[in-house]
Amino acid sequence: MTASAPLRVSHLTKRYRLPAGGEFEAVSDVSFEVRAGECFGLLGPNGAGKTTVIHCLTGLYPVTAGEVTLGGIDVHRDPKGARRLLGLCAQDDTLDSDFRVLDQLVRYATFFRIPVEEGLPRARALLERFGLAERADDQVESLSGGLKRRLQVARALISAPKVLVLDEPTTGLDPEMRRALWEILMQERAAGAAILLCTHYMDEAERLCDRVGIIARGRILDLDSPVNLIARHIGAQEVEEEVRPGIVWRRAPNLEDVYLKLAGTRLHAERQAA
Amino acid sequence: MRIPDALWGVRCSWLRYFDVFRKSLAYYLVTTFSEPILYLLGFGLGVGSLVGSLKVDGVDVSYRSYVFAGIIGQTLLFQGFYEASYGGFVRMYYQKIFTAMAATPITLSEVLWGELLWDSSKAALAAEVVALIGVFTGDFPPRAPLVLLPLAFFAALLFAGMGLAVAARARTIDEISYPQYLLVFPMFLFCGVFYPVESLPRALQWLAWALPLTSINSLVRTLTLGFAFQPWAIASLAVWLVLLVGYSRRAMIARLVK
Repeated sequence: MTASAPLRVSHLTKRYRLPAGGEFEAVSDVSFEVRAGECFGLLGPNGAGKTTVIHCLTGLYPVTAGEVTLGGIDVHRDPKGARRLLGLCAQDDTLDSDFRVLDQLVRYATFFRIPVEEGLPRARALLERFGLAERADDQVESLSGGLKRRLQVARALISAPKVLVLDEPTTGLDPEMRRALWEILMQERAAGAAILLCTHYMDEAERLCDRVGIIARGRILDLDSPVNLIARHIGAQEVEEEVRPGIVWRRAPNLEDVYLKLAGTRLHAERQAA
Repeated sequence: MRIPDALWGVRCSWLRYFDVFRKSLAYYLVTTFSEPILYLLGFGLGVGSLVGSLKVDGVDVSYRSYVFAGIIGQTLLFQGFYEASYGGFVRMYYQKIFTAMAATPITLSEVLWGELLWDSSKAALAAEVVALIGVFTGDFPPRAPLVLLPLAFFAALLFAGMGLAVAARARTIDEISYPQYLLVFPMFLFCGVFYPVESLPRALQWLAWALPLTSINSLVRTLTLGFAFQPWAIASLAVWLVLLVGYSRRAMIARLVK
C-alpha cells in the first residue's frame, strides 16, 4: 500500500448485530487504496458489502476492525478533518428537496465552511458543467430522476474534493448523459482526484477504472486492472455467448465475464454443487 | 473569529432549517401561527365569554386569560412534537437529509442537535406570538413574552425530544399516530390547558402531574398570571428534558448507524 494514497482502506471488517441476536459479517478483511489521479472500481452484486464499505469510509459506521484514511487522516479518529477531503454521491437520492437546485449546492457548500460568496460561483459553474444551469431556480422535486442524479454528482464536487466516492452515479441516466458524466469524471481524475466508483455497469468500469476490485459476500475476490483481470480469469480467447436459442455470438472477453465468473451467484451455486 | 467545529456543525444544521423557513415564509407563517391563534379565538374568546372567571391558587383570573396561558403550553407541545416527529421522520427516512449531512464535516450528533434546536426555536417562536397577543388583549403583563422566553425554549426542546424519539422508533410514518393519540392528545386534554388539573379525580391528577405539560402549564401561569410557583414543576421539566433529549439523540443515532 502507498502511504500517500488519498484513500486507504486497510483490513476493514464490519460486523452488524442482528435484531434476533448474533452477528452478521458484512465486510471481511477488505483492503484497497485509491491513488491520486486514479479511478478505482468496486464491483459486486447487490448485498456484496459495497455500500457498507462506503458507510465505513465516510465514518458514519464504526468499523469492527481495520482502518480507513482519507488524505492520511483516520476517518474514525478525526471524521471532520477526513470528510473535508471527501465528496460523496450516495446510491440513494439524498438531495434536499426543501431547496431549489442552486440553493441546494450553495447550502451544501457551507457544510464545508465554504462561504456563500465563494459557494455561489462554484455552484453556478457546476450547474453549467452538468447541463443544469437552466434549472437553477427550479425545485429539486420538479427534476426527472436523471437530472436529480446529475445534481447529486454535481453536489459531491462542490467542495473540490480530493477523494470522490460515487455509488451507482449513472443509474437512470440516458446514454448521452452517461457519456457526458464519464467525461466529467475523467476530467476530475486528470485534475488529480482519487475516485472510488461503485457500479453495476461493467462497460462503465472497464472504460473508466484504472483498477477494479471485485467484491462478493463481503470479501474482495480479486483486484487488478481490467486488462489483467480479464487475462488472468478468462484469457485472450474469444468467448461464445448464446444470446437467443440457436444464435451464438463470438466476442472478445470483457470485465463482465470476470465479474460473472468470480461473483456471479448462479455460477457460484453451480460451482458449489459440482 | 473562527467558530469551533462542533458549534459550526450545529449552526450549519440549524441554519439549513432557518433557510427553508425563510424561503417558504408565507407557508410557515400560516402553518405555524394559525393553529394557536384559532385556539385562542375559539376557546379564549368563544368559551371564555361563557365561563367568566375562575379562582385558582387564590388568584382571580378570567377564563380567557387562563386559556390564553394554556394555549402557550399547547403550542409548545404541538409545534415541538409535530415538527420533530413527522418532520423528523420525513427528513430521516424519505429525504435522507441526516445521513447526507453526516457525510460532510458535520457529524450526525451535530445534525441532530441542529434539528432539535430548530424544532424548539420554531415552537418557542409560535408560543411567543401567543404571548404577544395576550399582551395586546390585556391578558398578560407587557413583560410576559420576555420572561417566558427561556421556559418556552426549554419546554419546546423537551417536546422536540419527544417527537424525535418517536421518529427514531417508528417503523413507518403511520406509527407516529400511536403516541399522537395515546400521549399528545391526552396531555392536550388533561394537563391543564383548558381547566385546572385539580378538577380531575385524584388518580388522574397524579397521572396529569406525571406528564410534562402540566408542569409547563403551571410554570407558564406563574410567569404570566402570577399563580403560585410549584418548585417540583421545574424539577419535572428538567428530568423530562434530560431524558427525552438524551434518549431521542441516542435512538436516532442507533437507527442510522449500524
